[in-house]
Amino acid sequence: MVVTCSKEQGVGIIEVGHALTAATVDAFREQLASWQAVEPDVKNFVADLKQVDFMDSAGLGTLIAVLKRISEEGGDMKIACLQKKPRMVFEITRAYKVFEIYDTVDDALKKFN
Amino acid sequence: MKAVFYTAEALPWAEDLGDTPWPLLPVANRPLLDYWLETCAEIGISHVQVILGEGAEQVEEFAGTGFRWGVEIQYSFARASEQPLDYLKTISDRWNDGLLFIGGAFFLRRRQAYDPAGFKALEACTYMSGGRTLFLFGKNDSEVKTMLDGQMESGRGLEQIHLHPYAIEGIPAYFDLNMKMVAGESSRYLTSGFSEADCSSVGYNVLTPPSAHLRPPLIIGNDCSVGTMTTIGPRAVVADHVIVDSNTRLTNCLILQDTYIGQNLEIENKIVSGNRLVSAKDGTTIEIDDSWLVARNRPEMRTEDLVRYIILWFLALGVAIVQVIPFVILYPLVRLTRIGAYEEGIFHDPRTGFVKLPVFRKLEPRKSVVYRLFRAATLDRFPWLLLALRGRLFVCGQPPMRHPDDDEVVRQLSQYYPAVFSYADYSRDSDRLVDSLWYAHIRSLFEDVKILIKSLLYRFFRAGSQ
Repeated sequence: MVVTCSKEQGVGIIEVGHALTAATVDAFREQLASWQAVEPDVKNFVADLKQVDFMDSAGLGTLIAVLKRISEEGGDMKIACLQKKPRMVFEITRAYKVFEIYDTVDDALKKFN
Repeated sequence: MKAVFYTAEALPWAEDLGDTPWPLLPVANRPLLDYWLETCAEIGISHVQVILGEGAEQVEEFAGTGFRWGVEIQYSFARASEQPLDYLKTISDRWNDGLLFIGGAFFLRRRQAYDPAGFKALEACTYMSGGRTLFLFGKNDSEVKTMLDGQMESGRGLEQIHLHPYAIEGIPAYFDLNMKMVAGESSRYLTSGFSEADCSSVGYNVLTPPSAHLRPPLIIGNDCSVGTMTTIGPRAVVADHVIVDSNTRLTNCLILQDTYIGQNLEIENKIVSGNRLVSAKDGTTIEIDDSWLVARNRPEMRTEDLVRYIILWFLALGVAIVQVIPFVILYPLVRLTRIGAYEEGIFHDPRTGFVKLPVFRKLEPRKSVVYRLFRAATLDRFPWLLLALRGRLFVCGQPPMRHPDDDEVVRQLSQYYPAVFSYADYSRDSDRLVDSLWYAHIRSLFEDVKILIKSLLYRFFRAGSQ
């Protein structure tokens, strides 16, 4: 399972497992879309990346595409628990300017509340 | 006076920066060893002995006979059990006229007032760091002997002649030294093409379009290409053969040779070496298998590796072709009898960090002819062989290391070749770490073919017997 989704305080928590790369982005998109189909009321999301130890441009591109789609639907997505190595990819690609990044899921949830 | 440079000791932090042996790691685009030899030439040392370790061939290829510096270089290897100072004691006859010893990643940072003539007045001194002697200087045998016996305090002397002893003890220190050099110190060394007036040095054959911004201080090596709307500097050191794609910004960073930097990136406070991205702050290293971001722009594969790869690929193809029909027949039977099945396991991967691999497991401890045949024909490895044919695994090498069980083993391996077949397939007393280190040391086509044949034969005669 690439993604484990849950709902907390009305916000969708997207827990991503292991690497988010070209090999896993399709499964990520599909699993997230099927969870969203079951929970259409959830507009805001927190992507919990504590288990993501590697990310490439395809993974990052998918996160940006998901953020764009969520924003178009009137919601927002924040990033939580970004690990050291993927953080470096965020830094060199300037993705930190696109996403709001928090140390913990709770911190991200507080921002929504 | 003679100089002895001890480069036999491995420095783990330097291995994160690629395959370059640490004595050849560039400081402001010149190898560290180059600075040591320059100092020898300036102070009149004509005989240099270099004690080699890993990367010996590259070190010897770079320094050669020493003709470029006007010195004569001799090479030797250190015994594994021997400490640098013990070695010096054994060659006491060679330093009767004095000795300059450098025993690690050590840099003589020149202050503005430094003059090579100052060495004539320099008193015997030694510099230690982390319990190791990194620098030692004595003008006659009694001075050297006193210091080797530890009868002199560390750290005295060098500052008298406006030299700052700088121990490069990790990636942050290495990065910091490069930034100090690009910020202006570079001009205190013999640096061709460095203009002190504008604090910049741009090498030969560097393509820069009009829209590129070069902001000093910066150093750019030879044969580089800079894309449109790119900003390089301030404080950027770019080595030889580097391609920087458009709209990218390099600030306060070190780009090592043969590196491609993709479009729209922002490299700051980082070292990039091929596809390795290293944090200058804490040395965190990430290998990026994504040529849109950063990549090595020169194939790492040597002719020997290419030949090995092609031969083993065809051997693996042959084995896979032989196995395909037995697998199609036997695997459904294995599933039907519920004697075994594939389970996914998480393994370390040298390119992506982790990878899931199917691992065949015996589900019930009963005897079964089907299982026996399946194992004897090595059909349990058939999916791995297919992965090897796709280039995701090596055919022969080290056993794939599990996560998290083998994390410690992987940490100790500087070269990791997860493969379908390994020593563990035919050696009952196999130790994963020792075998993996040994394989990395003696890796060759002969060894790989030996592993393949022995593994298949052993499994045919022994592994099939349950």
